[in-house]
Amino acid sequence: MTVKVALVGNPNVGKSVIFNNLTGSHQHIGNWPGKTVEKKEGIFEYNDKEVYVIDLPGIYSLTAYSVEELIARDYIIEEKPDVIVVIIDASNIERNLYLVLQVLELGAKTLLVLNKMDLAEASNLHIDAMELGKLLGIPVIQTVAPKKIGMDELRRKILEIAKAKKQLTKIRYSSDFEEAIDRITKLLEDYKLHEEYSRRWLAIKLLEGDKVIIEKIRKTAKGKEFLKRVEKIKELLEQKYGNLEMALIDERYRVIKCIVEKVVKGEKTLTASDYLDQALLDKYLGIPIFISILWAMFQFTFIVSTPFSDILGDFFTILSERMAGITGFTRIDYLLFGEYGVLNGIGMVISFVPLIMTLYFAMSLLEDFGYLARAAFLMDKVMRKLGLTGRSIIPMILGFGCNIAGVYSTRIIPTEEDRIIAIVTNPLMLCSARLVVFTAIATAFWSSAVGSILLSLYIIGIVLAILIALMLKRFIFRGITSPFIMELPPYQMPSLKVAVTQMWIKGSLFFKKAGTIVFLGLLIVGFLATTDASTLSFTNDIEYSLVAVIGHKLQPIFTPLNWDWRLVVAIIFGFIAKEIVIGTTAMLYGVSEEEFSIFLASHYDPVTMYAYMLFVLIYVPCIATLAAVKHETQSWKWVIFTIVYETLLAYTISLIILFLGRIVFPGV
Amino acid sequence: MKKNIQYYETFLGLLYILYGILQVYNGVTNWWLQGEKQIQLGIKIFEVWVPNTFPDPFSGFTLITTGLLFLVAVYYSKQGFTKYIGYLFIAWLLAMIMLTLNIIEIIASFLDAYYPLLYSEKPNFEWNLSTDTWGIAPHFILGLLSSPLYFDLSNFIKELMLKQ
Repeated sequence: MTVKVALVGNPNVGKSVIFNNLTGSHQHIGNWPGKTVEKKEGIFEYNDKEVYVIDLPGIYSLTAYSVEELIARDYIIEEKPDVIVVIIDASNIERNLYLVLQVLELGAKTLLVLNKMDLAEASNLHIDAMELGKLLGIPVIQTVAPKKIGMDELRRKILEIAKAKKQLTKIRYSSDFEEAIDRITKLLEDYKLHEEYSRRWLAIKLLEGDKVIIEKIRKTAKGKEFLKRVEKIKELLEQKYGNLEMALIDERYRVIKCIVEKVVKGEKTLTASDYLDQALLDKYLGIPIFISILWAMFQFTFIVSTPFSDILGDFFTILSERMAGITGFTRIDYLLFGEYGVLNGIGMVISFVPLIMTLYFAMSLLEDFGYLARAAFLMDKVMRKLGLTGRSIIPMILGFGCNIAGVYSTRIIPTEEDRIIAIVTNPLMLCSARLVVFTAIATAFWSSAVGSILLSLYIIGIVLAILIALMLKRFIFRGITSPFIMELPPYQMPSLKVAVTQMWIKGSLFFKKAGTIVFLGLLIVGFLATTDASTLSFTNDIEYSLVAVIGHKLQPIFTPLNWDWRLVVAIIFGFIAKEIVIGTTAMLYGVSEEEFSIFLASHYDPVTMYAYMLFVLIYVPCIATLAAVKHETQSWKWVIFTIVYETLLAYTISLIILFLGRIVFPGV
Repeated sequence: MKKNIQYYETFLGLLYILYGILQVYNGVTNWWLQGEKQIQLGIKIFEVWVPNTFPDPFSGFTLITTGLLFLVAVYYSKQGFTKYIGYLFIAWLLAMIMLTLNIIEIIASFLDAYYPLLYSEKPNFEWNLSTDTWGIAPHFILGLLSSPLYFDLSNFIKELMLKQ
């Protein structure tokens, strides 16, 4: 009979190397049914016995918060492998033991593998594996996977455990919890519920309030009655410990601390990476360093891209001049290559391709070095202090590239309430499309400090998102915040090849977007700008065009913000894609990229334009982002909420900035 | 860390903070208070301030952060904590980034002025250090002064590279 083995462990513990060592070429890689998570399975033979090995996704715990955790958990409890091999990083034993304790709660036959023993020794950590095995009540072996050390023992132990009787875990929590676990276990026995699962594990999950398990029990005949009795047991504990899920996390760490004190000897010597983390994650200097790095990144982006953007802008100006009259049809010529032509607008947008490419080049270097993960860690601390989930940091960072990616990535947030908060606040993150608009405007007024102006807008976006999230958490969603475990990748030399590839991919995508959606949007604007409002025939006087009528009709709403009808039209068409705001502005004023800055600076003042930039930052996201919001919330309610709150907030903030600006700068 | 290096780092840290405060002041008065006058702390060579403390509060903030990191590194080093090395490295790295940015800014500004010559057009504008928005900024001078600290950090940088 084939022995079934599941490999479990945190990410980056060397699980895949061990899987490869065990199975060699006898492996199959596919996806878990209905999921995009990789499924790796393989076979090896030892002492004439066939062993089937499945490499479960890398996880930090066995809660039901992420797809990976659910897959691993479901496999263990439903498929019931003969042996669970938990692989841990011996150089980081304290954090890794958390998953071990959760696996032991499942009551399955377990083997613990202390991998990376060479790194632990190099860090001056000496682990008493024998003592660890005694304390946990399971066999423990030591390995160095890349050197294949301990692999033969691993194979032998797997077969030994598969043949052996059931293990009895020696892990016990505080008496209050053990008492509650015993009472629920007894109840489970009485009600004969889900006898296929370990009762101790079910009891712990019920104490934690695991939604999946509660739902499973509710569906059984006496489920509701049983759950009522469990609630009574929980009430007593909650009075003393508050949130039981959190209390059990603390319990596990308390047990881990006791184990580590007994089995680990020696103090870990700090590496260069540790020293770097101490500075970069410093309690007081961490955030200032983060802001300084962001400032340097934006200055670099702007400084490097400016000459290239100007060259591209010149190219489109010359192209417009050369193409004039080429089709022989006045209207088409005027629409495409005229003063208010589409080529003018599209040239304005495309001239920012170098900006996007440089930004992604810089971001890729930071990410590759390992700094973006540290930035997320820093922000997580801030978020947790405010009572928000640190998990929303990842969607926020992705939102800087594109809000659509940001909204979709909120799937990593386990609780529905936290996820909706992250979705509806994500459009406040300054995406690359809006970056184009802001760079064009900022260059006109603050040419020496464009990077700083951009940074101020990024900060305002983040602060507003946090404030809105806090308000939603306080007044609409009052649930608990899910815990967030984050692993910091080791620092590494950034790869120039990766950065250049990223730069090329993002630049191409932006170029493609400019040639499709943005072009179409500008074509509509151009058509309306060359159609006479009264006769619907061609006109070269924009003041009498359809677009002017639309602009004039809506302008009174924006008069307090000091905009003329052209800026109003640009905002409206920006709903299609944000880049259209700048393309439309250039088209409707009839200026090329070359003249744009001078024109804007001579027609508007810095306060009005800063308020305008804030409006563009905050108001309704583009149509594709709204579609993502609908898809992810499965509700029109949140789409409408996003449109309404963002528009109102944009108008209010812009008005306040304008009002304050007028007080501070009365002469402007 | 040797005593003389500690003194040198303290001196650098204080200079970064001083120029950072000046830049924040110039930025705030120029951007938000419409002040025309800017405080410069340097020497004027042919109408060009060296260093040129151009108005930009966020840039000033970065200078102050770098200065603080130098001072914290010196403090921990005096206390005998080995963790000073991480702070010193980040301070030095920020100093080098700002030095590089200043050099790139000068080159990019020059290119932006004269690229039309490539297709026989007139330059966009006449570029010289007095018209350049950054010019020889504190980022440049202080970056140059910080660069010798590489020798104090070389072992740490090698270790960091080895880990990779």
